[in-house]
Amino acid sequence: RDSPIDLYCYCGNSALHNKITSESLYRELWSIKVVDICPNLNVVFFCFAGVNCNSVEKKIYVNLNYTIPCVRLLNATHQIGCQSSLSGDVGVLHVLESEENLDWVLSSGQTPPYMVILESALFTRYSDLKQSIMMKLKEGSSRVAGVVVVAPSTNPPEGFSPHHACPNENSGVYSDSYDPALAHCNATLWNPLGSGLSYEEFDFPIFSLKEDNDTQVIRQCYQEHNRGGNGSNPQYPLCAMQLFSHMSAVTDTATCMRRNDINFSLSPEMVCDPLGDYNVWAATRPLNTTTKGHKMFESVVIAAARLDSRSFFFDVAPGAESAATGFIALLAAAHALRNVTQAAQPNRTILYTFFQGETFDYIGSSRMVYEMMNNQSVVDLDNIHSVLEVGQVGLRPDSKLWLHSDPVSRRNDSVNQELVENLRLAAGTTGVLVDEPSTSQPLPPSSFQRFLRARPIPGVVIENHDSRFSNRYYESMFDNAEYLNVTYPPNLTPEEQFEQPLEIAKALTEVATTVARALYVQAGGSESQLDSINADPQIVSQMLYGFLVRSNNSWFQQVVPSELASHLGESQSSEPTLLVQYLLANLTGSVVNVTQEDCQKQREHEKDEDSNYMWVQGAANGTVRESFCVRSTVHLSKALSPAFDLREYTSQDYSTWTESRWKSIKGRIFLVASPDLEKLTLGVGVGVLLASLFLTYIISSKADILFSSGREPATATY
Amino acid sequence: MNLERLPNEEKLSLCRKYYLGGFAFLPFLWLVNVVWFFREAFMKPAYTEQLQIKTYVKRSALGLLLWVAVLTTWITIFQHFRAEWGEVGDYLSFTIPLGTP
Repeated sequence: RDSPIDLYCYCGNSALHNKITSESLYRELWSIKVVDICPNLNVVFFCFAGVNCNSVEKKIYVNLNYTIPCVRLLNATHQIGCQSSLSGDVGVLHVLESEENLDWVLSSGQTPPYMVILESALFTRYSDLKQSIMMKLKEGSSRVAGVVVVAPSTNPPEGFSPHHACPNENSGVYSDSYDPALAHCNATLWNPLGSGLSYEEFDFPIFSLKEDNDTQVIRQCYQEHNRGGNGSNPQYPLCAMQLFSHMSAVTDTATCMRRNDINFSLSPEMVCDPLGDYNVWAATRPLNTTTKGHKMFESVVIAAARLDSRSFFFDVAPGAESAATGFIALLAAAHALRNVTQAAQPNRTILYTFFQGETFDYIGSSRMVYEMMNNQSVVDLDNIHSVLEVGQVGLRPDSKLWLHSDPVSRRNDSVNQELVENLRLAAGTTGVLVDEPSTSQPLPPSSFQRFLRARPIPGVVIENHDSRFSNRYYESMFDNAEYLNVTYPPNLTPEEQFEQPLEIAKALTEVATTVARALYVQAGGSESQLDSINADPQIVSQMLYGFLVRSNNSWFQQVVPSELASHLGESQSSEPTLLVQYLLANLTGSVVNVTQEDCQKQREHEKDEDSNYMWVQGAANGTVRESFCVRSTVHLSKALSPAFDLREYTSQDYSTWTESRWKSIKGRIFLVASPDLEKLTLGVGVGVLLASLFLTYIISSKADILFSSGREPATATY
Repeated sequence: MNLERLPNEEKLSLCRKYYLGGFAFLPFLWLVNVVWFFREAFMKPAYTEQLQIKTYVKRSALGLLLWVAVLTTWITIFQHFRAEWGEVGDYLSFTIPLGTP
């Protein structure tokens, strides 16, 4: 494939990215290959006897179709997540119906270890992590073989966040040297619902299952075999489950990166990969990408948002409020500014940046700042005029937008109030209520903190909360479309849903318009133009649908190239980088009339090398698509923590998160016989073997007596 | 090769070759020597070369024991402390089992 990032596999934790997902895709293919060998062996062994080959395994095991594991991540000092043993962990099924039932698993049950099936309410309902069922299971892990969480169909009303209460505590700007009083969320605890469950280490596998046929089979198997009558102990055979999620990496990032490099063994194997992906950026004016470092007479206003989120489980990271509201608002703002920045160009350039991996200690933004400091980026820190970051901006009725800024910068008077004034001015024209939090409050967790860490740059972070997050499901699987009320009447077809205007989109459109107008004034544009800057509510609705509900829709299909189109799915894409890249190109760029060949060679004019040309598949016209070429200033830049380039795996300054590799993730259920029966079977087998050896020995030593018949010995003929 | 069919002088020269070869850090030669010539050295009726063979077999056995002792100690220490040694432990390893510290 020719694109620099050639990964359209939507199976990553959304913070994890092309490289890693391509690895897991590879792993999947690899494991399929291995699995394929086994039936062939069965053919060899059983077909002589006329037995149907695959059915032996099928008769014993029921494989689970839809399994989502919790996987291992590592940083400079810790490993978090879950793992099974190499050959999978086996336990007797126990469906936990209430918390009192836990006793059976942890002490009174006669047949440990147990595979605990947890209704999601039991997974999410706790006020204190130490009192939670998950932690009790962790402490009693000698009797626990694994846990399966049945994903709910509705969000828990009391809120749930498995993330830290103080996200990115040690990688933001507030530290013991910047302002100790504000460090470690001393002033404001941003995510008080955050329990830190995602950052615990479990030494048994934890899987999530959707409520479907699989869970029906599990419940039925449990009811039939594992429930003894009247509280008595159930009789063998019992229903058991085996979960495979063995992780290759251990201890910490330094250890696993070192083991990646050791390759004098017979089969060198990678054990972990750094978390990383790409940031997406675009400018309102083409910036010369061939010369790096400081650009004379260039002043840029950065408009930032983040693309990633996570949850306890791999591959589940809806991030509707925590990420999608922000980047959708910024995309809509960029679209609103397209015409006016071309017609009446302001003196400063607006640089739209979408950061990846911010959940894991600001991977994307720290990389961009690092490149700006080391003259590897198109601009440097001196070129930055100010930063406007769009955070979580999903507005509820009668809620305000809050303009957060840094109290330290304000104290030092290095920040003028210009950006806040412009935002207030813009909000005045759109009718959005804006306010500022108390002057002593620090910035919420935001990419802008990484810029401040390098230099006191003026900047504002827009959020929908005053102090603590209003998001009750921060970095959890419940921060989804349902939470944002992106829901549709049940009788609509996908295309009708796509066209359906949404209530939340109205509020988000107003935010986008406010952001766009503030950016325009901030960039030096004239206030008289403001009325012509308007975000399009239909586009916002469609983006909400495309990013949160179903990525396979007519609009997304038009604006992406054909390779990517085949990866658009029926559900939310957990890999938004490329979609945002193509949407941004479509929303800010222009269609040029060139052939596919010229488009791919990226030259309409020889000198124009700062624009990016993309050949996208266009609208369907019957069976043919009317493909076209889009010219834009959209580029990708690496979002890989500088710690991995510097090989500082115990870095205090940069993210050191890595993800372990694995070979197979699967689960299956089957019936186990009692240990006594197992021992008896083995004993009889060994007995038969010994008896036959003994018999053979006797017969061969007495052969001349036993087989001395009247006829000539056979050897005589040779 | 059947020792029974060899003349006594050749037995001695063979035994010496194995004994000397073992000094090239090849304790398995000593093991073979001990196993192979044990009968010759201690069970057979006396003959002239037997005394010399006895010495070689004894010394081979001693060397072998030394090797076994040294290797067992090292392997025990290594297996026990590999994870603790961290970097050094990894570089001393030929294969590192996946998913273990």
